[in-house]
Formats: sequence, C-alpha cells, structure tokens
Amino acid sequence: MAMGGKRKRNQDSDGEEDSSKRKIKTETKEPFRPSMIKNKEKRSEVHAKLKHQKKLEKRAKSKARDAAVKRAIELGEELPEKKVPRTIENTREVDETVCKPDDEELFAGNDADEFSSILNRQNNPKILITTCRFNSTRAPAFISELLQIIPNAHYFKRGTYELKKIVEYANKKDFTSIVVVHTNRREPNALLIIGLPDGPTAHFKLTNLVLRKDIKNHGTPTSHRPELVLNNFTTRLGHRVGRMIQSLFPQDPEFKGRRVVTFHNQRDFVFFRHHRYIFEKKEIKKIESKGKKDEDGESEKVPDHKTIARLQECGPRFTLKLVSLQHGTFDTKGGEYEWVHKPEMDTSRRRFFL
Amino acid sequence: MPRATTLECPGCPPLRALTFDTLGLIKVLESRENQGGLKVVERWGEPDASKSVNAVSIIDRSSNPLLAVARKNGQIEVLSPVTGVSQATISKAGDLDLQSEENNLIGLHLFGKQNTEIDSRAYNLLTCTSKGNASIRSIEVPDSETESSSTNSSKTWNVCNSGNVLCCKVDGNEKFALFGGKGVEVNIWDLDNYTKIWNAKSPPKNSLGIFTPTWFTSVSYLSKDDHRKFVAGTNNHQVRLYDISAQRRPVLSIDFRETPIKALAEDIDGNTIYLGNGFGDMASVDIRTGKMLGCFTGKCSGSIKSIVRHPELPVVASCGLDGYLRLWDTKTRQLLSSVFLKQHILHVVFDSNFIVEDIPKEADSLPSKEQPVKEITDDEEIGATPLKRKKSSRNKESVIAGSEKKKRAKDSEEHKKSKGSKSASKKTNKRSKNEIQDDGL
Repeated sequence: MAMGGKRKRNQDSDGEEDSSKRKIKTETKEPFRPSMIKNKEKRSEVHAKLKHQKKLEKRAKSKARDAAVKRAIELGEELPEKKVPRTIENTREVDETVCKPDDEELFAGNDADEFSSILNRQNNPKILITTCRFNSTRAPAFISELLQIIPNAHYFKRGTYELKKIVEYANKKDFTSIVVVHTNRREPNALLIIGLPDGPTAHFKLTNLVLRKDIKNHGTPTSHRPELVLNNFTTRLGHRVGRMIQSLFPQDPEFKGRRVVTFHNQRDFVFFRHHRYIFEKKEIKKIESKGKKDEDGESEKVPDHKTIARLQECGPRFTLKLVSLQHGTFDTKGGEYEWVHKPEMDTSRRRFFL
Repeated sequence: MPRATTLECPGCPPLRALTFDTLGLIKVLESRENQGGLKVVERWGEPDASKSVNAVSIIDRSSNPLLAVARKNGQIEVLSPVTGVSQATISKAGDLDLQSEENNLIGLHLFGKQNTEIDSRAYNLLTCTSKGNASIRSIEVPDSETESSSTNSSKTWNVCNSGNVLCCKVDGNEKFALFGGKGVEVNIWDLDNYTKIWNAKSPPKNSLGIFTPTWFTSVSYLSKDDHRKFVAGTNNHQVRLYDISAQRRPVLSIDFRETPIKALAEDIDGNTIYLGNGFGDMASVDIRTGKMLGCFTGKCSGSIKSIVRHPELPVVASCGLDGYLRLWDTKTRQLLSSVFLKQHILHVVFDSNFIVEDIPKEADSLPSKEQPVKEITDDEEIGATPLKRKKSSRNKESVIAGSEKKKRAKDSEEHKKSKGSKSASKKTNKRSKNEIQDDGL
C-alpha cells in the first residue's frame, strides 16, 4: 500500500513540473539538486536560475522587512523585533568555569594570586623584553613598537643566555614580567610572558602581525600611559590570563593621552589593537527641525551637537592564541601546567576556554 | 564540521570525597544513587591563601575517624572528616623547625593503629618538613570541646643533610617511613627506633655518560602489608620500582611521556599503579611487567597533584591544577564524574565509610561484598593475560594477612553491613548506567 501511494505522489509531481528536467525527476529518492545533473552546460544553467531565484527572494524579504519598519515608525508602533543571527559565540557550549560576579572564592583567589600586588598598585610593573637567540628584520621593529606600547619596558639583547638565567637576573633587578618574542624564519611567531618572581608563564602563538608602517593612516603614539581594554575574558582561565596581561601595564592611565590598548578575546583568539581616540562635536542637521517642533526656545539657543568618537589606529596589530599556561616560571622540563591545549579537547567548534 | 560531542559520564557509585585547595578550603563531595554525579555538599573554612593545604592524612575507619591537615602557615589541624569540627590544632609557635618560609611542612601521617592501648585519645603524628626535619609527636584529642588539646612528647630527627624532601609516605603497618625529594635519594626509616635502614642508590650513567640528578616527586608503597616494595616517580619522567630486599638500585624503571611524574597511587591488588604527570596525563601501569595498561583520557588539561584509589570501590580520583576533581573507573578507565571546584586542588581523600541512608534494608541479605567485584575481574581476565596472576596473588596476600583481616572485620561489623549495602547499590547503579547522565561536565 505504502509503495503504491509513493508511486502515485511521484507521478503527480511529474505532472506538475515542466518537462525540461524530466531526466532528473526519474531519481525521485533525493530532493533535487543541480549538482545531480551530469551535463555541465545544463547544470550551470539550472544552477544560475536557482541562484537568481534565491537572490530575488532575499531582496523581497529585506524589502518587506524595511517596509514593516517604516510603517511601524509612521504609526508610532513598536519596531518589529530585530533578529539576532546565530553565531558560534552565541551558541557557545555551556561552560561551568565561567566566572560569576558573586563568587567570593574568585575574589579571595584574586587577592592571593601573583598579580595582586601590581594590580593593587603596591608595585609598579617593570618589564624586560627580549627575543629568541636569532632575531632579525621584523622582530626588532616589532619590539621597538612594543617598547612604545608598554611603559617602563626595557629591551635586553638575548645573547646566548638561557632563559632560566634571564629569569634569575630579572628577579634580582626587580622586574615584574619578562616578555620574550620568538621568531621563526624572520617572522615573529610566538610570545612568551613570564610573571616574576613566581608568577605563571603563558605561551601564546602570535599571528597576523601588521606593523605600524603597514597600517594606512596610522598615528604615532605619545608617551602617555595608555588605557587598557580587556574584552571577553570570561572563564577562570581567561580571567587569569586577563589579569596577567593587565599586570604588564601601569594601573593609572593618563587619560590626557587618549591612548587605548585593547586585548579583545573572541573565540579564544586575543586580538591586540592600539588606538588613539578623539571626541569630536558634530552638528546634527536633520534632527534640528524636529527638535524645534518638540521643545520651546531652549533648543534654539543650544546648538545641537553630537559627540562622536573617532579612532586612529597606531601601533601594531596582532593576534594571540594561548598555547599553554604554566605554573611557576619558565621550566619546560620540570614544569607543571595549569592549562595546556591538547588536540583531544577540540571536540567542538563551539567550545572555548578563555 | 566536527559534531559537538558531549562526554558521557555514566555516573558514579555512592561515595564521599574531601578535597583540599590552595585557599585552604575543604570541600566535601558526595554522590548518591539517584543524583548521578558528585556534588559539593559542604565547605569548611574561609578562603585564606596562607592556609593553603600542604599535606593531609586520614584515619579511615567507621568509628571515630580523624583527619589531619597541614597548612602553609605551619599549622596542623586535626578534625573530624564527618562533621568538620576541629578537634586539635598545633600552631607554628610550638614548632622550632618552621622558621623560614621555605621550610614548609610537606609530609604528614596520622597513625591509626599504635598507641591505642596506652591512651585511647592520644594519636601519634609524623610530620616532615622540606628541609628534612621529621618528627613524631603525640597529640591528645579531647573528648569534649572545652578541653584543650596538648602535645606531649615529640621525637625529632633529620632525614637528610642537604636537598629538599618532597615526598613522604608511611607503610601500611605504620612501622617504616619513606622519604625522598630533590637531591635526596629515597630512604627508609624504622619508626620504632628512628634509624635509617635503607638508602637507595642512584642509577648509573647512561650510554652517553649523562647523569640525571636525583629528584623524586612522589613515592608510594605497592601493597599495604609489604614495606619492601615501593615505586617512586621522578622529575625526569621516570617511574622506578625499588625492592629493598633485592638491591639498592631500581629493579625496574619506566618512562612516561615528557613531563615530571607528579602523583602516584597504588591499586589494592598490589600490581597496578596509577600515575599522573605535570601535563595532565594519567595512566595505569602493570608494575610487574612495566607495561602500560592504558591512559585515562578526558580533557584533563592541568597538572595532576594527587591520585587516590578508593579502598573498596573500583574508583580512582584525580585532582590537580585545572580545578577539577575527576573520578575514573579503574577497569575501563572511563570518566565517571567530574566536578569543577574553582581553585587549584592539591589533595583529595576518600571517606570510605560513607553510608547512604536511603538504601532499603534488604541489601543486607546479599551473600558477601566481594561477589560483584569478582565478577568484574573475571570478565576482564578473558581479554588480558597479565591480569590472570592478579587474582592468585591477591589470594596469597589474603592468606598472609588473614589473621589481621579477621581482627579488622571483628572491629567493625556494622561497617561490613554497610559495605554490603554499598555493593548492592553499586549493582543498581550499573543497571542505570546509561540513564544517569552527569551534568557536571
């Protein structure tokens, strides 16, 4: 019985559609796809047709949406709800390690951790920047820009010293962190941040480095202490990494300088940007007429101005990805890791650690 | 696109565990039958970084169990693992050795067997600092809380002249103690007359003439009744088996991956050991052959600080710097349950006398507690040949230690009953393995 019914339906559908695609319709098991056609000419023809149809549909949809919004504005109704697209971050897997704002253990842990003396302004950060053994072309340029970004940073030539010896030396000279820029094939590709005296060691992969001179319309930063923006460090691990980055910078920014350094975390990639901002007042022409109607004489006196922030990018751009976070100072052989990225942890695109 | 996989945790048998973290908090976790995974039930103490737990020791018995906790500020607390009420504290002031900051307490052992005939309320306590000052003192745990605890006698000796002691273990009969560390070869001390009876010898240089410096990170006795065989983990990612009746050099050494071994635990069968390293890898090794039985895999990403085998159930617990407590099945090496506990967890301890109240009485009618466990081993033995000997050896041990076991059994009859009920509950748990899903991970 069931078979017979199916047959009937197929025949019906055959009758409805035009005869040019009869060849395809004989395989009725799967829904029709242009890629099923073996003749290339026909396939591309059908594909183009389908694509055009989709485009039209999309345009009609957006038109309808715009019309609905317009009507709502005219009638003074509430605007139709804006649809939020589903992104990978939106649909992130539920993570129990995400920090909660009312967690007293988190605050107690913060007070006890290695960065608390800097972040409570008891100590001033003092950074030692060095490189790997072989260092050329882009790395020195990158370091000279890093020196401008991080206040109170000092560059030391690596020479042939072991990193453990450098850690010892820096401890003696009261440095609070060490930053090591690693290069491979004359291209900086890793960043190692070591907290001192017993802070953790974070190993980042560094990609997409764009130096200042390669950025169009870049500005030159001043020597003011920058403001710091840390975005989206949500989990316990992210919180710790964020605090580590925070401890590289002085905790009292000079707002006069209007310099911002941003570390933006998105899908476990930490994007670094360095901007100078300016607030500008801009006259608003359109709304002026409306404003006069609504209000009395007040609006006429005060010129309608809107403050807008304008950004000028200066300094390098790069992307960091955490590879490992090690407990204690640099020790690859005998170190204990707080977090290591292992391939078996990548079970899903929607699982993030920071 | 890789499909999002959810880790299937089949749930764990009812048990109770205590964890100790860097903020000095003690968290009590319990798992019951119908709840699925482990849950934090209680939290003892206030977060304070100076009270970070360095060492713990538990007397695990049904009547009057005790728990000793050594803290970073030199304090030793004795408390009840059931209620968390502090029964005695030894502060830093009484201890002359604990002046410098580097001289932390690293080893602690609460003696459960001795001293009972002299005074039922006095306990012996072995402590060891990282500089190698070991001492045995007896503390009195007062009956009521109004009385103050006091320490009477103490005997102090030095384990090593130089180097740092990192690990310390007392054997099952509590007659010998094992010390080892950075620059300290493993040595065994007789606790009756405080003499060193054995000292290990470092292994010879390798074929390239390279000598690896001594650095022991963890030690463990192979079985409870035998003080002659023990395993030691080194910073040089090596696990060594020593037999003091055979030779001073290791009988067997196994390399495991590339990071230092941080935790070792023995199985109750005396042949299998569990090891964890600084990278978060955990594995079980058959120590007779030195062959790895398998790894415990489950997204563990922080250095493992402590591994503990449950005294009765086939469960191993591991905890570490990633802030998770994980429970594994010893046979299948599957993750049973995992709990996120926020801080770096330094120690974990099982309270094996945990009784689930809501179990029906008919559970007592089960013939013996051993039955279900044996069934499992039988199933396993078909596949793996090296496991075959295990059963016989276990029987042999039981013959040797038979008299003692009888005594123990007499001590706690009600305890046994509870065990029976536990085994029953385990059975039911197995049945519902697929239904219970852990929402912990």
